[in-house]
Amino acid sequence: MPLRRIFAITSILFLAVLVVSPLKNALRPYRGFQRAFARLGASRAKSMQAAKAYQQQPVAIHQIWLPDFENRVDRCTTCHLGVQDASMAGAPEPFRLHPASFHTPKDSGRFGCTACHGGQGLATLEKDAHGEVPDAESPMVPLKFIESGCGRCHASEHVAGAATLSLGRVVMERNGCYACHTVKGHESFRSEAPPIEAVALKTGGEALRRWLKDPKTVDPNATMPRFQLSPSEIDELSHYVFSLASSRDLANRVQAASAEPAGDVAKGKAIFAEARCISCHTVEGKGNGSAPELSKVASRASAGWLLAFIRDPHAFNPRTRMPQFNFSADEARHVVAYMESEFKDFDAPKEILDPIRVNQTLAAKGKTLFRQKGCFACHAPGAEVDRLGPALDGIGDKRAASLDFGKRTDISRTLPAWLEAKVQKPGSFQDGLKMPTFTLSPKETQAVVTALLSLGAKPVPQPYRPVSAVRPSLLPGGTVGALMDRYRCLSCHQIGDRGGDISTAPLTAEGSKVKRDWLVDYLVLSFTIRPILTDRMPVFRMTRDEATQIAQAFETFYLDSGIPEDPYAGQPATSKDPVEGKRLYDTLGCRACHILGSGGGYYGPPLTEAGTRLKPGWTYAWLKGPQKWRADVRCPNYGLTDADALRLTSYLDTLVKSSTASKAKRGGTR
Amino acid sequence: MKFRFQILGPILFLLVAGACSRHKAAAPAVPQPEAAPAAEAPVVEAPLSYELRLGKGVYQHYCQTCHGETGAGDGFNAFNVDPHPRDLSDPTFQKAKTDADLKDAVQRGGVGVGLSPLMPPYGKTLSTAQVDEVVLYLRTFKKTEP
Repeated sequence: MPLRRIFAITSILFLAVLVVSPLKNALRPYRGFQRAFARLGASRAKSMQAAKAYQQQPVAIHQIWLPDFENRVDRCTTCHLGVQDASMAGAPEPFRLHPASFHTPKDSGRFGCTACHGGQGLATLEKDAHGEVPDAESPMVPLKFIESGCGRCHASEHVAGAATLSLGRVVMERNGCYACHTVKGHESFRSEAPPIEAVALKTGGEALRRWLKDPKTVDPNATMPRFQLSPSEIDELSHYVFSLASSRDLANRVQAASAEPAGDVAKGKAIFAEARCISCHTVEGKGNGSAPELSKVASRASAGWLLAFIRDPHAFNPRTRMPQFNFSADEARHVVAYMESEFKDFDAPKEILDPIRVNQTLAAKGKTLFRQKGCFACHAPGAEVDRLGPALDGIGDKRAASLDFGKRTDISRTLPAWLEAKVQKPGSFQDGLKMPTFTLSPKETQAVVTALLSLGAKPVPQPYRPVSAVRPSLLPGGTVGALMDRYRCLSCHQIGDRGGDISTAPLTAEGSKVKRDWLVDYLVLSFTIRPILTDRMPVFRMTRDEATQIAQAFETFYLDSGIPEDPYAGQPATSKDPVEGKRLYDTLGCRACHILGSGGGYYGPPLTEAGTRLKPGWTYAWLKGPQKWRADVRCPNYGLTDADALRLTSYLDTLVKSSTASKAKRGGTR
Repeated sequence: MKFRFQILGPILFLLVAGACSRHKAAAPAVPQPEAAPAAEAPVVEAPLSYELRLGKGVYQHYCQTCHGETGAGDGFNAFNVDPHPRDLSDPTFQKAKTDADLKDAVQRGGVGVGLSPLMPPYGKTLSTAQVDEVVLYLRTFKKTEP
């Protein structure tokens, strides 16, 4: 009898269990979301039919399965139902349409959600999917670092549409992170810091001590970070620097230069302005800021060194980004005379540039410090490439539990928070850490953390790697390569995905863009193309012969196959109609931004001599879609037909410099 | 028999308890449409919504050079442009134009809507979403005290 009773009770219990499970499923929150979404969709729908479609959607789990992409299963769209639904723009969360970017919302099916956002794709409960899961395998990426997702696939320095990520990568390169940390693709990185042997030629004991204490207070543009050095350590390092013997040749050059008579200050001022030094340097904060602030430089560097350096910067520092300026002997003297008269720190003690009388014991201690603190990573990167910091590859996938938070109990225990604190105040984790302090702005910190989070532990599968649109071409070899290196084209311009960000004109397709004769003239005596830009191409004083060689090389190496050599080929002859082109120029309103003749806007490049500068093939290709050549350019795509674009091109091509025009009339060639 | 109860009892209890437990049975919050700011609080200080921030980005990149930071038509390029750009912060203008009008003007340009050609068409440069965002942002312009 008791056995039967037990049997009865267990049966009832099991029945109850069976009822509970479907009940539990029926009460899952996503079902409520899906019903709410159906109501919202129906209320927003434009037609009865569309409204019905919303209401007829069955309630079910939605998922994106990506077998090719690490076998991802993202069920986020079970609740985030409107990510691809255009009628859900501005709808309340979780139904809102995903903001538009290069891949979103259209490519959601290709990338899923967790590829960029992190989180647990399989979970269908808010708390599990993107709540605070301690030590989650794939934690949510805070939105301010979301561009790290772009960087997982796009490994190039500049990623179009991802400004923060690109800035982060630039900041990392500029601050020399790769000198201490290995990162794939940057193995050959060399800091542009001056070789340590030559420092004693340049500066004095007191100036060096001030610099070592905090480089940024001496020069706000300095890229050298602040090391935690005690006064005695600073002293030891200074003695070590002055104990090093620099090359005899350089020492002689500095000595000879210091013995030269002083130049003319007024002339030097004019040359300083004309050479456009502040396209890279700053003077009292005015200028580009990617090279040292000059307003007190004469109290950091001796007059002899300045003169010898300006004449041949690459002899003193082969890695400097400063180009060679071909000043004559007198001109260089004038420039230095101007700098000596204006760019002094008048509060500094007189003996700031006096050398140190070396104490060998201190120097020996300094030598040890130089190794211990890792100074050699930037200042003596010779054969011994020794990255003393940990490798950064894969840091974006580090588990929070494996991080040492040390004394930082004030921050949340997540990887992004750890990285942010580490980048801002590396010394705050514990005492005696080697990493120095880089004084980065909040924006730069955000960018660097974004770039770091983009360094995933494993490479993305082949189908997800972007096809490189730009050739990773760098300088050509031979004499032209040497010339381009001499004038350091890549310090400002980009070629492929490498180069500086000072110029807005990449050289990747320059050979297809500008006419050779114009380029030669421009290289010999460069001028302002777009009047609103403050950073302008310096006047290098290169010879016409050098300019011709460079221009010829551009026409050989830096071409784009998408730009036709002769845009009129194969087109009806009526397309070449400058009169109709002029009419188009007026009706399209080009003059809102471009100066032509005496009138027009101040934004784009003046077109008065467009035909002298630009090849018709380029003009045509540009008119057909400016954004293809520069993604963020303001010039709108007018959607011109081939024929109209050609007519406009033929008009612009007639706008030539008057002297060239007269030459053309005489039967000269163009 | 008692012995069996002692074993079965706890097991059953666990089974039942396990089946009944579930994650926070929060009633699915039916999202309420964000309440429109009822009172015109200080607009300048209110943080912009996500869409407005996107619209502001588009505006600053493409429009501000002529239409100016506050939409007053006083961008640095405005004075080279004749007729001058429209004062977008003008209340009568704001009232006269529907969102569709503004969107049309941005997409088809001045020529498209029968005005000066100096306003270029951005329909083939900006996505529809970007145009919507920038129109949304245009609506935040208020005349500042003259």
